[in-house]
Amino acid sequence: MAAETAKKFEALERQAQTLMGVFVAAGHEAVAPSMIQPADVFLDVVGETLRARTYVFTDHNGVELCLRPDLTVPTCRLHLERHPEGNVAAKYCYNGPAFRFQPQGAAGTHPREFRQAGIEAFAAGDRETADAETIATIINAMKAAGLGAFKLKIGDLGLFSALLTAAQMPERWRTLLTHQFWRPDAFRAELKRLVSSQTEALQGIPAELVSSLDPAKPDDAVNTVGRFLEQRGIDLVGARSVSEITASLLDIVANGRAVPLPRQTADVIENYLQVRAPADAATARIEDLLRGTGVDITPALDTFDRRLALLADAGVDLAHTEFSAEFGRSLEYYTGFVFEFAAPGLDPTSPVAGGGRYDSLMHAAGAQSDVAAVGAAIHTERLLAAIEGTQK
Amino acid sequence: MTERLVLAVPSKGRLMEQTSALLAAAGLQLRKTGHERGYRGEIDGLDGVEVTFISASEIAAHLKTGRAHLGVTGEDLVREHMADTDDRVTLVKKLGFGHADVVVAVPSGWIDVRNMADLDRIAQPFRRIHGRWYRVATKYLNTTRRFFAAMGVTDYRLVESLGATEGTPAAGTADLIVDITSTGETLRANGLKILDDGVILKSEANLVVSNTAGWTPGTERTRDEILARLGV
Repeated sequence: MAAETAKKFEALERQAQTLMGVFVAAGHEAVAPSMIQPADVFLDVVGETLRARTYVFTDHNGVELCLRPDLTVPTCRLHLERHPEGNVAAKYCYNGPAFRFQPQGAAGTHPREFRQAGIEAFAAGDRETADAETIATIINAMKAAGLGAFKLKIGDLGLFSALLTAAQMPERWRTLLTHQFWRPDAFRAELKRLVSSQTEALQGIPAELVSSLDPAKPDDAVNTVGRFLEQRGIDLVGARSVSEITASLLDIVANGRAVPLPRQTADVIENYLQVRAPADAATARIEDLLRGTGVDITPALDTFDRRLALLADAGVDLAHTEFSAEFGRSLEYYTGFVFEFAAPGLDPTSPVAGGGRYDSLMHAAGAQSDVAAVGAAIHTERLLAAIEGTQK
Repeated sequence: MTERLVLAVPSKGRLMEQTSALLAAAGLQLRKTGHERGYRGEIDGLDGVEVTFISASEIAAHLKTGRAHLGVTGEDLVREHMADTDDRVTLVKKLGFGHADVVVAVPSGWIDVRNMADLDRIAQPFRRIHGRWYRVATKYLNTTRRFFAAMGVTDYRLVESLGATEGTPAAGTADLIVDITSTGETLRANGLKILDDGVILKSEANLVVSNTAGWTPGTERTRDEILARLGV
């Protein structure tokens, strides 16, 4: 049990009422999504690694279910039940338990069962305004609960996408790097591969295919690959078709013939990812970094600045807010603005609250297309511990 | 009688025959007690040993929880059953039989997929085209998850397969598999190939000591006697 004593349980309940009061006053509708959720959606969105952190089980009908590891996906599903098309503006708030398997055993700061109080805003008109409102509401709620001091850290995955788009490289490399963004080691290895000679890319591909495939003639290529399989007597089993395999082979062949990524471009990407600065100095730092490189991400920086201005208007102290270019890398469903709050007295790996923008999550959960979405959750046991700690 | 060492031995097939032969050659003759089809036994001339005949997979589970002190089973099963293998058990001797590699195998027609990095590369396009992640059929759920995570492959779905795993891609229930193979012949017959870096584990039968079993001076003496005869 997350609250071992009635006293602690009541303290959490009282705190939750305060938090929910602030959320509702900010226009969020209180909802209570199911604790037991279909495992499919989570596994599809987060991937098979989720299984390692989530209580997944099979019911008597053989259906795979899970105890919700957070309330964001359940709230998306609740919204989709009401509005199957997804793209309808709505603001929700919730308070309730979430469950995570802790491989090292449950501990104080990493319990297997904890209560989250949070907010989500779907299909809000202006993204930056919604981002700033989310932060402001979370700050108001934590303050109302009694938290005096905190440290805010922010990131923006939108800046990274803009950087990749602006850097000169074939589209397939962009896709590759974007895909690897969430795995820092693999990302670095991929960058290294792209700047070195590409002949390695062709190793293990039959020489006759390498010489005969022409990326400019995809239809011919499908026939060539089909003939190759036939001549070798290879029966193609499974779902992937010859044209899928051919498209992937053409990427490999194109990589093998491509001019390597300029060292300078790789450096720009790596240097960007190392930027850490007070939020109000971040833009200047990034502009310095890009000057003379030919990589221009002005529109994304303007968006970043506009959001900062809105945050400042909402009372956020930008000089004491940390920007980290790399922040957000561990949470694959975030797509733009990300943030977390640390509280004094808590372990730095245990943020008291966090959230961000996840515009593609609703689509993955069943909506017909992407839906603008931003949200945040407070880890309520940690919040209570932080408040009680400062009162002592 | 309270201090008997529990020795778990495979209950059937080649693995049982080879284990019996190996023990017999070391002067440890297994003998079933009670019914011939029963699952309990003793070792001739060595008191304080209770032999239990169970499946190789159950042996791994018993060594993990300490219900068996000593057992003979495949390293693949030991590693599959516990994430903290080296804390819970000690693999004291490779026995030279029961060889099997745990491998990642994909359809031979996937000439664009040579290694795990390629497998990762096709994950997103596969999803775009088929509206789902590719499925990996296996009975080695934990082993697969650990290996894929270590190789940076995260966008897939696991499908538990309890038999005839190599037939699942052709049957359409999975797209690739993680399974054991000794010669690769069955894989080839089913239109599959092993990825270049897809050998997860080169497994064979091992003599395994449980670290979690309740060891007493008596059972430790018996263990040392058995290990000594087996030349450990």
